[in-house]
Amino acid sequence: MSTTLDLHSHSEASEDSRAPLEAYLNWLKLKRADRPLDGIVLTEHRQFNQDADYRELEDKFGMLVLKASEVETDYGHVLVFGVTPEMTQRFDFANVHLPAQEVIDEVARMGGVAIPCHPGRPNVGLCEHYTKKPPLQNVIAVEVLNGGSRKGEDDRSEALVKQFGYRAIGGSDSHLVSLIGLCATRFDADVRTADDLVRELRGGAYEPVDFRPKRKPVPQAVAVEVK
Amino acid sequence: MVDYDPAIIGRVFETTEPLQVSAEMVANFCTAIGESNPLHTDADAAKKGPYAGITAPPSFAVTFRNGQHFFQHVPRYGKQGFDAGKDVEFVGPIRPGDAITLSSHVKEIYEKTGRTGSMVFVIVRTTLTNQKSEVVAHIDHRFMNRT
Amino acid sequence: MPEDNSDLNFETVKIGDELGPEEFHLSKDQVRAYARATGMWVPRFTDDEAARKEGLPGMITPGNMSLAILSKLVTDWMGASGARLTRMGTTYRQPVMPDHTLTLHGFVTDKKDIDHTAEMDIWLENEDGERLVVGTATVHFPR
Repeated sequence: MSTTLDLHSHSEASEDSRAPLEAYLNWLKLKRADRPLDGIVLTEHRQFNQDADYRELEDKFGMLVLKASEVETDYGHVLVFGVTPEMTQRFDFANVHLPAQEVIDEVARMGGVAIPCHPGRPNVGLCEHYTKKPPLQNVIAVEVLNGGSRKGEDDRSEALVKQFGYRAIGGSDSHLVSLIGLCATRFDADVRTADDLVRELRGGAYEPVDFRPKRKPVPQAVAVEVK
Repeated sequence: MVDYDPAIIGRVFETTEPLQVSAEMVANFCTAIGESNPLHTDADAAKKGPYAGITAPPSFAVTFRNGQHFFQHVPRYGKQGFDAGKDVEFVGPIRPGDAITLSSHVKEIYEKTGRTGSMVFVIVRTTLTNQKSEVVAHIDHRFMNRT
Repeated sequence: MPEDNSDLNFETVKIGDELGPEEFHLSKDQVRAYARATGMWVPRFTDDEAARKEGLPGMITPGNMSLAILSKLVTDWMGASGARLTRMGTTYRQPVMPDHTLTLHGFVTDKKDIDHTAEMDIWLENEDGERLVVGTATVHFPR
């Protein structure tokens, strides 16, 4: 039984997002035909709320809500799945200059998995850092499909995957309610917990999925005359 | 981590002299943004509206200039601050004939990295008050500094 | 063109309702008119050559103007309903270059019975579908 999850989303806990979690879940319920998701993963910027409990909302909407984090490193942004108290003690998630190689290795040692996100993005993506520094070791997967990518960025991520043989995930990177779930990851296996997610990301079968509508070409509008 | 004096948070660093709102300013603003709603452009129609007279469109609230020393009080980090966005609370109408005072304080400072590199964000809250001491708007300016 | 939304009220608004999409050509003259009207007659908002000297690709649209354009999407949608725009937040992600066709988008994302408000996502896109300015707005409906 497969599971489709948006692996990259920000609620209003992230300072640049304006999306309440409940509104996200309600939107997915409304858009189920176009975006058939089983749940989302909250990857708040530079923080992790160990105590947040979303079971009530999960029951209300029949959707899975998992917690993760997006941290900032010397090789760009990284999604950390399977966050434990040991990890948040080991690394200050608010630090915007975390050492990426240590994050990848220590998170793995502590039972999680760290996945570089939007690698094709300038400054905060792997591709640019790989032009200046040695590639990271022990990278399992990167986020090839990111809903906030600009022209060409996901293409660069694809090229990186081909070059290094990384696995690929997808996520919306949404900061607005209506953009949730436009990109996601489909797992062959049943994923119900953060442990399931980590296990599958490390060794399971999965692929990015794109639910964005095909864009129609924009006609040239007539200029408004201004006196 | 970002270095700043915590005492500046919440402390009002500037209150401007009252800035006059003229009918011409409101009319020019409406023309510039293509606003044709009679509540903002037609005195007779606006008289029958909720405010019994012409009011400026809500986004007129962000056009008021802060004082000339404003940026001397806004902490700077690295290269020049850019306007990264605004959060505006529209509390009450602004009308031709009003005199608006702006009062500002630093609300928050934080650091992050993005497409253009390392950044420090400084949030300044400006409260707009009219000649009757009624608050008409709160504006949170987000200034982005590239470090 | 704004719709006649005099039928719009708190009961008829639904989560998922769309604002726009609205396409328009933002001209340099219109940007200059805004700069003049708001006392922002500075090189970056009025002159390509001067803007390039500042390291910009050409003259750009003031962030405040993008905010105004997006707020007009919402107030046009409100029409004659008697509703009031009470809050708007915008993030300027990329410079908005004039002489381009821009598309405005919006969706109602939430309704709150307790204070009779609707929340919406709003954003402005270029011809490539890149979201240049994004944000949210709150509209209060009369009881």
